[in-house]
Amino acid sequence: MTATTAHPLEMKQLSMSFDERIIFRDFSMALNHEETLGLTGPSGRGKSTILRIAINLIQPTSGEVLFQGENIQSYDPRELRRRMILVPQRASMFPGTVEENLLWGLKIHGIETTDKTLIEVLDEVELEARFLSKVAQTLSGGEQQRVSLARALLLEPEVLLLDEPTSALDEETQVAIEKTINTIIRERSISVLIVTHDKLQASRFTSRILDISDFGG
Amino acid sequence: MQLDIINLILNPPPELIDAFFSYLVGLILVVIIVLLSKWQGIGVEDKLLIGTIRGTIQIILMALVLEIIFELKDMVLIFGLLTIMSIFAAHTAASNLDEIPGVMKATLPGITIGSLFVMFLCVILGIVEPVGEYIIPMGGMVIGNSMGLSSLALERMWSNAQKQRDLLETALALGASAYQALDLTIKESVKAGLLPNLNRYAALGIVTIPGLMSGMIIGGMLPVVAALYQVIVFPMIFLGSIINALISSRIFLGQMFNDRLQIMVPPLGE
Repeated sequence: MTATTAHPLEMKQLSMSFDERIIFRDFSMALNHEETLGLTGPSGRGKSTILRIAINLIQPTSGEVLFQGENIQSYDPRELRRRMILVPQRASMFPGTVEENLLWGLKIHGIETTDKTLIEVLDEVELEARFLSKVAQTLSGGEQQRVSLARALLLEPEVLLLDEPTSALDEETQVAIEKTINTIIRERSISVLIVTHDKLQASRFTSRILDISDFGG
Repeated sequence: MQLDIINLILNPPPELIDAFFSYLVGLILVVIIVLLSKWQGIGVEDKLLIGTIRGTIQIILMALVLEIIFELKDMVLIFGLLTIMSIFAAHTAASNLDEIPGVMKATLPGITIGSLFVMFLCVILGIVEPVGEYIIPMGGMVIGNSMGLSSLALERMWSNAQKQRDLLETALALGASAYQALDLTIKESVKAGLLPNLNRYAALGIVTIPGLMSGMIIGGMLPVVAALYQVIVFPMIFLGSIINALISSRIFLGQMFNDRLQIMVPPLGE
């Protein structure tokens, strides 16, 4: 199924309408291997919708999404979403500790891990090992966002979709999370599509930026 | 039987007149609940009024044929009757959740399979005597409680998909199956649904003197025998309810998600 020459993620002529209102039309893009691509534009123009379409969580009005060269409809949705993970704008924590949250994604796919790996991934998102035993829902917004990132990274996705990863955070935390994401992008062989309404922020992650407004959004 | 009914209406015995008067006075309680519901915005007035009228008619009709039902020994007829009761229970659960689509598709197999399996097992194992007098009232309790648990579980699954949508989408975005994404909700609602009966079970004989035992004693059974039947009926209720919840919740997931594992439940307010 995997074609190494194909783009990890490609969208062709995607259009989306809600209640006859066109959100965007004929949106096309191709994400290259180990590339970070920014998608910007004003709020409410369908940037997050594009990410949700990418993992087949919602259906576009028209158009096609390819993952590793294959139409996403040909994938088992569970497999697709393990290999291409969306980290949502607002981190949602499952009931339980940080450790249980980190293990949640692995458990549903029957993947085993070690304490060492958990600590390493926490270190990668700049959280100390002592966080493992903390109740996840009591953490600050920034800490929850880091746990959310770590939970996704543990599944070793081929494509990471980041939806406004810092928009719900204060300025100081935004800068810190940006730094963490930049380190992850640099150190992991991973393709990233990052959505942000802030063009300046997008430029701090990558030089290739698309604007949803160019597609009727 | 027709003559009996006509005779009962034309020449009501004094205890019927007394009972009817008590019933009318008892309706004051219904009026109080309706007023409370309206005042506090609980929103169960319609269901309560319709339930009172419907319930009264149903239970009187049942009372009139109860003697015949209790004498039934034909297992096909008895289990046929339990099936009809299950269908009615599934329909009632669905009509009380009329804002949620596809409830009947889930409650019908859940309640029917769960309840009939438990009653069949009890008859085969000799726990329950194979006559209508025992199977029908005990089966009725199993079906009634399964109905309650179904309503609770399906309503929670649906409302959690609306109220905790972000969490549900997070689970799906990590590659969860529909069941994995709602696993916790299903377990919590089964537990919550069993809790009132678990309390009654623990307080049996001290706080609660259940109807089945009282009825059997009034009917002339030895109190200890009636007590033993009462204890047995609780595990029957639990087993029936759990089987029903497992089946109906699994089927209901098919209403909540399509085969691409996309959420079909509209967001809150739509």
